[in-house]
Amino acid sequence: MVAEGALAAGCRFFAGYPITPASEIYEVMMRELVAQGGLALSAPDEISSLCYCVGASLRGLKAMTATSGPGWALMVETVQYALMAETPVVIALVQRLGPSTGGATQGAQGDIFLAEFCTSGGYTIPVFAPSNAAECYELTQQAFNWSERLRSPVVLLSDKEVGMTTEVVEEAALARPSPVERTQVDAKASFAAYDIERPEKIPAFAPVGGGVKVTVTGSAHDRRGRLRKVSPEVVGCLLHLQRKIEAHAAEMAFVRPDLDPDASCLLLSYGITARAARAAVSELHKEGFPISFLQIQTLFPVPAEALHWASAGIRTVFVAEENLGGQYRTVLAPLLTGKRLLGINKIGGMITPDEIACAIRGAGV
Amino acid sequence: MGNDTYLASDAKLPYCRGCGHALVVRQLSHALEALGLPPRSVVLTTDIGCVGLADSLFPYLHTVHTTHGRSTAMATGMALAEAVLPATGLKPIVMIGDGGAMIGLLHLVHAAQLNVDVTVLVHNNFMFGMTGGQHSAFTPLNWITATTPEGNCITPLDLLALLRTAHAGFLARQFATDSNLDAAIADAIAFPGFSLVEILEVCTGYGAFKNKATGSALREVASRQGYSIGRVEAEPQRPAFDTLYRHEMESRPARRSPPQVPELAVKGDLANPLHIVIAGTAGERVQSSAAFLCRAAMSVGLYSTQKNDNPVTQGTGFSLSEICLSPQQIEYTGMEGVDVAIVVSREGWDELRANGTVAKFTPKTLVLLDAELEMTLPTGRVLRQPFRREATPKRAALAAIAFWLGMEPAVPSSAWDAVVASLPVERREDVSMALRVGKGLAIQGGASVS
Repeated sequence: MVAEGALAAGCRFFAGYPITPASEIYEVMMRELVAQGGLALSAPDEISSLCYCVGASLRGLKAMTATSGPGWALMVETVQYALMAETPVVIALVQRLGPSTGGATQGAQGDIFLAEFCTSGGYTIPVFAPSNAAECYELTQQAFNWSERLRSPVVLLSDKEVGMTTEVVEEAALARPSPVERTQVDAKASFAAYDIERPEKIPAFAPVGGGVKVTVTGSAHDRRGRLRKVSPEVVGCLLHLQRKIEAHAAEMAFVRPDLDPDASCLLLSYGITARAARAAVSELHKEGFPISFLQIQTLFPVPAEALHWASAGIRTVFVAEENLGGQYRTVLAPLLTGKRLLGINKIGGMITPDEIACAIRGAGV
Repeated sequence: MGNDTYLASDAKLPYCRGCGHALVVRQLSHALEALGLPPRSVVLTTDIGCVGLADSLFPYLHTVHTTHGRSTAMATGMALAEAVLPATGLKPIVMIGDGGAMIGLLHLVHAAQLNVDVTVLVHNNFMFGMTGGQHSAFTPLNWITATTPEGNCITPLDLLALLRTAHAGFLARQFATDSNLDAAIADAIAFPGFSLVEILEVCTGYGAFKNKATGSALREVASRQGYSIGRVEAEPQRPAFDTLYRHEMESRPARRSPPQVPELAVKGDLANPLHIVIAGTAGERVQSSAAFLCRAAMSVGLYSTQKNDNPVTQGTGFSLSEICLSPQQIEYTGMEGVDVAIVVSREGWDELRANGTVAKFTPKTLVLLDAELEMTLPTGRVLRQPFRREATPKRAALAAIAFWLGMEPAVPSSAWDAVVASLPVERREDVSMALRVGKGLAIQGGASVS
């Protein structure tokens, strides 16, 4: 459904390299994208995959690659390049058990830090986390739309259990957001590749090979794309990379709430664990246990407003996720000060509804 | 077309005195001028190193300054896009050093193999210049560099020989001081496919003094390393990638659409979710049989999830499928309990024990075992049937599924018939036979529950 979502979003270029559990996306794109007149191609490694996508995107094509943690590690330099060069590209990152090559056929949610905090300088890369096949379809389209709109790399972060489980999808109920196209530049002599009137404004795009001269660089640059050492203009260009994301954070904050007005605690989760969490909340509600639930689909930028209203008046917040140490919980902690923040964590297998319910019952809420 | 169209006539070249890069930049400009290419039909993609300073010298070309070694890959992406865009005739030119060629060697090999219309100018000054004169994979024997102070003892690579084996279409080697360098560059750019010119030069900042590398010394180095100068043997006849791709797409037969799951008026008879595990041997259609069950369930309005597992080597050992069928949408996709276990081979059984599934069996778990399997179960309602013998090993899983549904009609037989009818003609008889065997065994009653 990631591949289907990509096609629905107007993806025309895909370069991939085999890696479990992301190979299905690669295989479907090689079949379906080619059949639809796009270009899908096998790259000789993950660095090449993403570089090819960036090159194709510079020519105006919507582009995607798919990988897992080990491949993502190789792509990081190019992710940063795409961020700096304001080049739209979508990376479907299907997590597996780490570290290193870890367990290729075992699920995990251990790449939250790896996905988001891979940039030098602390820039925000939008990350969407689907929990099922239907959400893969919807959020892949959102990933493309936001990538095009923001001129930024965007990560679609799923895991083996989401990516390699076959399940029924109700076609009629699938979300179909309208495809967004990047704003094209008017042909004008004074075009500057990174021209920004306001820091949060996204510069118009001109394709390499078109009639407007394009200057692209991954180096610190001025508004015309010229390599420069630090100057107020260069720093302005760098700040712009972050401001443009922050300015749209509320618009791209996707959550699925199930709030109980009498709740004394709130359960947060995302991705595959959100499904177990939803089942656990259903059981707890049957017992008369007052609890609210918030599934977070946009991990980054962190949906701060949703967190604020979902946790209003609540003392204890649980975060269920399949990693050690509670990676996303650590991210959320500064936004939940004054609350009792507890993690429900596990590695090596999906967290079960029963484990979540037991942890909540036993927490003395 | 004036010279200003390419290299600005007043350009202040930022290179060290005597550096070959300055010569290459001028000769590239001459080559573009000779070819008469519109500036907007050229994209100059530069790598990291002193070569990366060339962008700003060509104010009318598209320029892309990339990360170290990746200029070839990014230019390849730009060239690949040409295959699905309205043809623009864009000419990507890559400027890269020998350091970039080393770290990005795979990109060069793949670009040559694909035969994308990219021209690569490798500025080989035998070392890393910008970072302080460290040796590279191309440093000549005995050369003194910052990282080989006693002289390099590792035999350098022959880049053109490497790319020759990758089926490169155009390969040439020149000295930066060659008066015909512009012609070689022009020929490379005009070539419709992958072309590379290796340009031998001296890093005056770090290479010249310690290695006494004057122009004549460079020729001796080239000679000693067996580097031929000028065009070298390549494979010019192969079609460029965009031509090949367009041709392939036009000649490719229309694809048959995958079978659709039928939607039946009758609905599945299931009050609560059912967790089923099917275990057998790789190559015996365990997972495709499980998918068949899911499709049948789906056709009568049930929800399903299916997860498969097998060893790293997919053609040997066990093969498993875990299925959940449910009247409601399925949230948690794992198996906390097992309602039905279908085991059609010893390898499948061994894996169920090893992965902890057997430990989840309860007295209510229905276990369908192939009659050939002799083992004692800790708990569960056990039925033994000769699935393998009667249906053949490849049909055993499907026969066992049919047997089970004959006893417990969560999915009515009309669903089976509809799904069989939706299959490609050549598969129907095979599947039908497995189902007939399974149903037949169910009707016979077979062994009783023990």
